[in-house]
Amino acid sequence: MKVSTLLNFVRHALFVSLLIGLWEWGARTDVIDQSFVGSPLGIATFTVNNMFDLRLWGDLGWTMFSVIVSFSIGSSAAIATGLAFVTWPKLEAFCEPYVNALNVLPRIALVPLFILWFGLGVGSKIAMGVSLTFFIVLSSTIAGMRGVSQDHVTLTRTLGASSRQMFFWVTLPGAVPVLFSGLRLGIVYAFLGVVGAEVIASERGLGQQLSYLASTFDINGVWSLLIDLALVGVLIMKSMNWLERRLLHWQ
Amino acid sequence: MIDIQKLHLSFDGVSDVLSAIDFKLEAGEFVAVAGPSGCGKTTLLNLCAGLVDLPEGQHLHVAGAPPQLGNDTVAYMLARDSLFPWQTALDNAAFGLKVRGVTIGEARDRAGEMLKRVGLGGFEHALPKALSHGMRQRVALARTFAMPAPLLLMDEPFGALDAQTKLQLQDLLLQLCQESQRSVLFVTHDLSEAVALADRVIIMSSRPGRIIADVAVPMARPRSIRELQTNDEFHRTYAQVWRHLEEGWTHHEG
Repeated sequence: MKVSTLLNFVRHALFVSLLIGLWEWGARTDVIDQSFVGSPLGIATFTVNNMFDLRLWGDLGWTMFSVIVSFSIGSSAAIATGLAFVTWPKLEAFCEPYVNALNVLPRIALVPLFILWFGLGVGSKIAMGVSLTFFIVLSSTIAGMRGVSQDHVTLTRTLGASSRQMFFWVTLPGAVPVLFSGLRLGIVYAFLGVVGAEVIASERGLGQQLSYLASTFDINGVWSLLIDLALVGVLIMKSMNWLERRLLHWQ
Repeated sequence: MIDIQKLHLSFDGVSDVLSAIDFKLEAGEFVAVAGPSGCGKTTLLNLCAGLVDLPEGQHLHVAGAPPQLGNDTVAYMLARDSLFPWQTALDNAAFGLKVRGVTIGEARDRAGEMLKRVGLGGFEHALPKALSHGMRQRVALARTFAMPAPLLLMDEPFGALDAQTKLQLQDLLLQLCQESQRSVLFVTHDLSEAVALADRVIIMSSRPGRIIADVAVPMARPRSIRELQTNDEFHRTYAQVWRHLEEGWTHHEG
């Protein structure tokens, strides 16, 4: 490790410990109200106990399942739609006002409808995740395919490539860099949509557990769940980074 | 190889993009087309490649038939290398053959030989990001010459290179052409390049885009760029081409 990185690490460690120390001290001396902000020790205790509770892992499984399914459905539908729009610009022109209207709608407001249609289970969570992922990935798919190098297209046309060859050998690989930044955002939005819908109303899931803990004023539990959610988020980003390095090693 | 008679072309509201073009390129001939930007030289090339639609009733034949995209007799090369950054030098060089239906194994074999020929043996598995501009354009040359197409259409293939690299690649192109007996239509705005490489230099002028001179280049082949620098015929022809181009300008201003 380089000295500057080490120094940086020490600085952050000091800052965080100071913050946690102040918080713990404030909570014990009743300078701050524990029932509203909890205490670091309480959060740590809850987190460790919760780790041995099968319920947490079950909820994590439900949430991750919904995220992965909604990301897969949302992004593949978006890529297919994007491809159709790029192939038939007239179709895009026709659909544009509807796509725009849906895109500016605060999608979380659809949750009550989704719950009515798909129930309190994973169905409504997946629907929410899909509705967020779809539009993000759609716009990056279109941008990526439109941005493909014209030189590549010209050259490939003069070689007499079929539209299949053009798509798989030129358009798709050329669109991957931009498309991938859309997918990266898409999975974060799928996570947001699923947890958001779980918080509003759900049978299971991390969002449901969080919402339950908040409504029973278990503040330490809420903090603990927030940490879990952040960790899951980091894990998702790390795996996307890994995938990007493998797919885009040529950049 | 190419036969154009009384060709007129107007598009996008611009009339006389090309006007009264009469032009023949015989098999095995290397013809350079020079002229100011906007004279329609690239349009002429793109017509031959089938990239620009030929209007009804115009006569332009490539290898005895109206131009068609993907015609096997034609290989096209652009100013920028247009290599795929996600493919190795070898796969880039094999791309033309692959699109034209050669099996991947055979395409790679032939591409590998061409890469060695253009001086890139040992760089087969390098990605374009690891290659210099000159090397990338060498890969593009390998891709073009790996195809057995008898007619090469080149649009300022060395236009984006620095002076030194350009001379090296011109020399390489001379050698490749002498080895493989291709017909070449070569668009450039560099007059010394045109004279050094070609058997004939066509000079065009703009608005309307038309041919104002057709100069035969007398130097015998095989040529080398280095020897040409001290060749009197080269300099005489260069001066002659330059004079025609100037006439085009004064004519245009008058």
